[in-house]
Amino acid sequence: MTEPQIELHGIQKHYGAFHALRDVSLTVPAGRFVALVGPSGCGKSTLLRVLAGLETIAAGRIRIAGRDVTHLPPRLRDLAMVFQSYALYPHLTVEQNLTYALRLRGVPRAECRRRAEEIAAITGLQSLLGRYPRELSGGQRQRVAMGRAIIREPRAFLFDEPLSNLDAALRVQMRSEIRKLHDRLGATSVYVTHDQIEAMTMADTVVVMRAGRIEQEGPPLALYDRPANRFVAGFIGSPAMNFLPGEIAPDGRHVRLALPGDPVLALGSRRLDAGRQVTVGLRPEHLVPAEDGSGQMTLSVALVEQTGSASMLVTATDPALTVAVARRLDLRPGDPIRLSVDPSCIHLFDSVTEQALSPEVMC
Amino acid sequence: MPRLRHSFRDGPAFDAFLVLLALGYLLVLSAFPLVYNLILSFQDVDLFTLASFDRPFVGWRNYAEVLGALVAPGIFANTALFVALSLLFQVTIGFGLALLFDLRFPGARWLRGLFLAGWIMPGLVVGAVWSWILAGDFGVLNHLLRTLGMIDGRIFWLSDPDMALYSVIIANVWLGIPFNMILLSVGLAAIPDDLYEAAALDGATRLQRFRTITLPLMRAQLGAVIALGVIFTLQQFDLFAALTQGGPSNASNVLQYWSWQMSFQEYRIGHGAVVSVLMILFVVLVAAVYVRSTRQDHAV
Repeated sequence: MTEPQIELHGIQKHYGAFHALRDVSLTVPAGRFVALVGPSGCGKSTLLRVLAGLETIAAGRIRIAGRDVTHLPPRLRDLAMVFQSYALYPHLTVEQNLTYALRLRGVPRAECRRRAEEIAAITGLQSLLGRYPRELSGGQRQRVAMGRAIIREPRAFLFDEPLSNLDAALRVQMRSEIRKLHDRLGATSVYVTHDQIEAMTMADTVVVMRAGRIEQEGPPLALYDRPANRFVAGFIGSPAMNFLPGEIAPDGRHVRLALPGDPVLALGSRRLDAGRQVTVGLRPEHLVPAEDGSGQMTLSVALVEQTGSASMLVTATDPALTVAVARRLDLRPGDPIRLSVDPSCIHLFDSVTEQALSPEVMC
Repeated sequence: MPRLRHSFRDGPAFDAFLVLLALGYLLVLSAFPLVYNLILSFQDVDLFTLASFDRPFVGWRNYAEVLGALVAPGIFANTALFVALSLLFQVTIGFGLALLFDLRFPGARWLRGLFLAGWIMPGLVVGAVWSWILAGDFGVLNHLLRTLGMIDGRIFWLSDPDMALYSVIIANVWLGIPFNMILLSVGLAAIPDDLYEAAALDGATRLQRFRTITLPLMRAQLGAVIALGVIFTLQQFDLFAALTQGGPSNASNVLQYWSWQMSFQEYRIGHGAVVSVLMILFVVLVAAVYVRSTRQDHAV
């Protein structure tokens, strides 16, 4: 189960003067669900298309199941792809869409029929086999696209933002359906999305990309708890992490925040160079309202959002801090709030390189 | 009174006015000539009765005379050959060029635009240019073929009875290619790239992608250029006037030119009208087949 199914080594891709992929290397073990995530233009879709053989590369090697496919056309790579637009063949029925690849390979008609019915049962398309794509809803089209991929039993599945054309409720439902299907088939999947929630909830391994480079890869919670740099810290997690400038205190074990009252936070067992300028990262849920008048800082509330089960506050500071509390708070704009932070929940980044300092912090 | 004025400005009366305007145009400028042409085909018309409506009806006599004419079988065959060969080469070459420009090489859009130059030229000008190219004594085509060693003597393209019709076909194919190419280019551009990518990942070779994706999705456009091609080819008159005048001895004559010859050179207007009526019936049939075939089309 752990031998590499997909290996990318030193991939370079240019579009004219634009350097789309900069020396990207990635290994995907068999059976793994890997999500490529990042802002638009980060190269995640390009990387997927390079893997599929739809884009040529300037340098690098691609191996699938041990076989070098760098110079093979897409049809010889034995990969299946689900497109953002679904790319269903509009002139073919659902059944013909599903069996297109089989018929190209000369699989007999009866066998095609049997496999189509089998796949239709898995994907819930039984009653729709005779329909044309234009007669289907968005969710049904999505299922046909999935069915067309799994009927071939390929070496790996590639997903290019497959849920972005669905409404929010259906997206949540298809999220778990895709993951269940992946587990059931024991498949290897590479999934591109710009939605970090999708990546966090579906994937075994999340790969965060920016500007043609891989910033960090790892299990979703590892990325959440130990982001390697400020970009990953800000990208993973919703609502996003708060960042504010800070300075390490003379004893090296505290950090002074650039907030009203110059609050000082203890850093626990960590020790850094005194006077060092840092960027402090605090997740909204790690800013805890202090009940008993303790707390490390007192800030003024600018905005309160109540969702019923949880509250979200924005403080009247510069930079403004977001505070997420999993219960109701009886506060109004202008009220003071006392907040405390667990020392092990303080993320520190070099203010110039933006790399995490002492990333062993666990919260 | 103000109410009537309002109704006329923005109400039922204005709607009626718009409908009548369109209907009136059709009646005067389309229906009347068509019906008048139909009536002419059943009458004995000569130069002296041309100006009056009171002409003797002769039943099917004009039809019998036209269809029974000694030259009729040859002209019908010429017309069929002219339409069939013109369409075959216009559509295949036009489609080929559309596929070429769909590869989006540098300057493809610009070069494709230049192809339209031939299409926007008046037919008589194109005919004049081709009559120079095809000229037997000093034509460029003969010079080229001889230089390449493909022929020894001269081919008299326009005056050789075996070649005359093909000469007009060559010119007509050249004239029709840009129109076919542009219409088919538009169709090709409407096919999303990701369909080809999905097919490629599904294991389709380039040829299989053409056969299973491009051709079926181009059905409507191909139907349109074929139907329009039939109609345009049957309307092609200028090239015959400029190149061969239907000669020598009707070797390159086709129905539309024959109809004109009978009506306006020989003043057998009833006979000319018969040919027009037959051509109208055929074109209506083609149009009906086209409309039926596009109705079952699968929109992307």
